[in-house]
Amino acid sequence: MSCSPFDLKDYFFSELSNENRRAVDQHVAACAGCRQELVALNLTRTALLAVPDEEPPRRIAFVSDKVFEPRWWQTIWHSGPKLGFISAAMLTAAILVHAQRPVTAPQAPAPQVQTVASAPGITEDELNRRVQKAVAEVESRQAAKFEQVLAKQKQMDFDQRAQLVSLEENFNVMRKTMGVMYGYRASADNKVTQ
Amino acid sequence: MIFREVEESDLIARARRQDVEAYNLLVSRWERRIYNYLLRLVKDREDALDLSQDVFLKAYQNLGKLEDVSRFTPWLFRIAHNEAYSLLRKNRPETDLDASIEGVDWGEVSPGRGMLPVEVSLAIESAMSRLSADQREAVVLKIYQGFKFEEMAEILECPVSTVKSRLYSALDLLKDTLAPVQMRGVE
Repeated sequence: MSCSPFDLKDYFFSELSNENRRAVDQHVAACAGCRQELVALNLTRTALLAVPDEEPPRRIAFVSDKVFEPRWWQTIWHSGPKLGFISAAMLTAAILVHAQRPVTAPQAPAPQVQTVASAPGITEDELNRRVQKAVAEVESRQAAKFEQVLAKQKQMDFDQRAQLVSLEENFNVMRKTMGVMYGYRASADNKVTQ
Repeated sequence: MIFREVEESDLIARARRQDVEAYNLLVSRWERRIYNYLLRLVKDREDALDLSQDVFLKAYQNLGKLEDVSRFTPWLFRIAHNEAYSLLRKNRPETDLDASIEGVDWGEVSPGRGMLPVEVSLAIESAMSRLSADQREAVVLKIYQGFKFEEMAEILECPVSTVKSRLYSALDLLKDTLAPVQMRGVE
């Protein structure tokens, strides 16, 4: 049994606080029994360390191991530039498909056409007048509808041009970001190899 | 040392984002220590190598669950400890673990590839074979791997007092056998 103020084995393994360590230092300087115990512990450790570590017979390599390769979607998901590029490509495709689609105005309900010919007590002049009036109304409606469609088409063209400009700007930003990231990665790799 | 720790946490962060290259670097840093830890527990090179592979695979798969990156080392050794004990239990399910490890032939690993005096080598084998599995692992973690008591407690999932008790009782047994032999070697 050691007479040291603190556990001699804690002292031996450097697990004491500085203050306690100094106390044991002082004790050991004056105590032959504890000094002898420390020598025995040191000899034991030296004997054990005479059986050295070995090199593993083979390297544990993972790069070529399929288990460790991320799935294609994981690769994309975890890569900002790739994800951005895919998103931009999908957006472009959606815009192009949308632009190619023919514009179809909503089908208006067919106007109620009165059959005047069969109406009793109407003269030919009255009939012609009514027909001219109906034709004028129809032409007027069609002209208004044409103007409406034309205005909508112009607005869509404008929107598409704006989207393409925005897309181009995003591409430029992304290209710069990728350049910066590759530069950072190259410098990080250099640091690791150094 | 601080630089290395920072760099290591960076590698772990990258590995958590499925960066295989970063994880490969971590493996190359730790494979020797993990292999030797396992070798001293299971005493078979092929088993130790297979277990090392399993350890790094499981670590990679569970890296996301590691809450504190600074605890990577004890966490990795905890996985290795579990793998080793799982194998030892599988090999000898009908007996208790201490008995199964004591059944291992310590002479299989030639210490120091013939560099050691035979007397010391035999004495180490003999002394180690008298320890329980828990005591032996405590010696391996402290003497060969250089862990602090706190880290050992984390790896073994037990209180520091238990760790110290196992280690110190083992040292008392080893000291009685090895110190006189080593002393004669020095003389």
